[in-house]
Amino acid sequence: MNSATDPESAKLTAATSGFVLAAIIAVLFNTGLAWARDAYAPLNAIMKSLTGNPWIAHGVAVLVLFGGLGFIFSKTGAAERVDANRLTQGLIGSVAIAGLGLAVWFAFV
Amino acid sequence: MSISTSDAILLAHAAFGITGCLAALWVFVETLNAQPENAGRIRIAALLTALSVAGAWICGGYWYVHFYPAEKALILQGPWPFAHNLFMETKEHLFFITAILAFLLPVIIRDKLYSSAAARKLVLSVAALIVITALALEGAGAVIEHGAKLALLRGGAKGTQ
Repeated sequence: MNSATDPESAKLTAATSGFVLAAIIAVLFNTGLAWARDAYAPLNAIMKSLTGNPWIAHGVAVLVLFGGLGFIFSKTGAAERVDANRLTQGLIGSVAIAGLGLAVWFAFV
Repeated sequence: MSISTSDAILLAHAAFGITGCLAALWVFVETLNAQPENAGRIRIAALLTALSVAGAWICGGYWYVHFYPAEKALILQGPWPFAHNLFMETKEHLFFITAILAFLLPVIIRDKLYSSAAARKLVLSVAALIVITALALEGAGAVIEHGAKLALLRGGAKGTQ
């Protein structure tokens, strides 16, 4: 096979697109949950009661959301209809928004 | 020389973190020249990224839960309380973003990168985001430790007066 002359594919597999969409949602959820825990103490107390430390519950929630949604989206092909470049841009944008959102929140709020 | 359990865990956390960062950089470089011949190396580097970040999570999480509360109290009494209020608070949540990206990497490199421009672009983006966020985490770790050091130095200086 000559990879240099093969036509380039512009599509992603169902597993890849599914887990990328799940990552976009999990990244934004992570920042939203951090804001909610910081702004609403009872939520922090509930999460502390679940695992002994709210940070552990936070991490488990984000990981389960990412893995669970990724599995569901992969099996259903829900993200396959989304353009590959849009998914990549969405992931970059969500990481930028979520990262800056955390820094700005803890700097000024 | 005396190295406590706390020291060993903290150093392991930083070592796993920088290994994950370098492994993601390795994925980035290999993907720039993706061929059928280097697909195996890309898989190894992506797996190393995910495992290293998982190691950093376990070590960092254990240290954060068991040893950080004392250091946090020290930092908040010192001249750099923002080392906790801004840098640690951001770091402990930004880490989850890096972890998601690191766990995503072994999934997305299963596409044939050498014949898919879209897959290559995605892998390059994810690897670059891991490197950038991991460097931010390493930098934040340095600021947090400096905040603790300044608090100890100030306390020590007061003690000598």
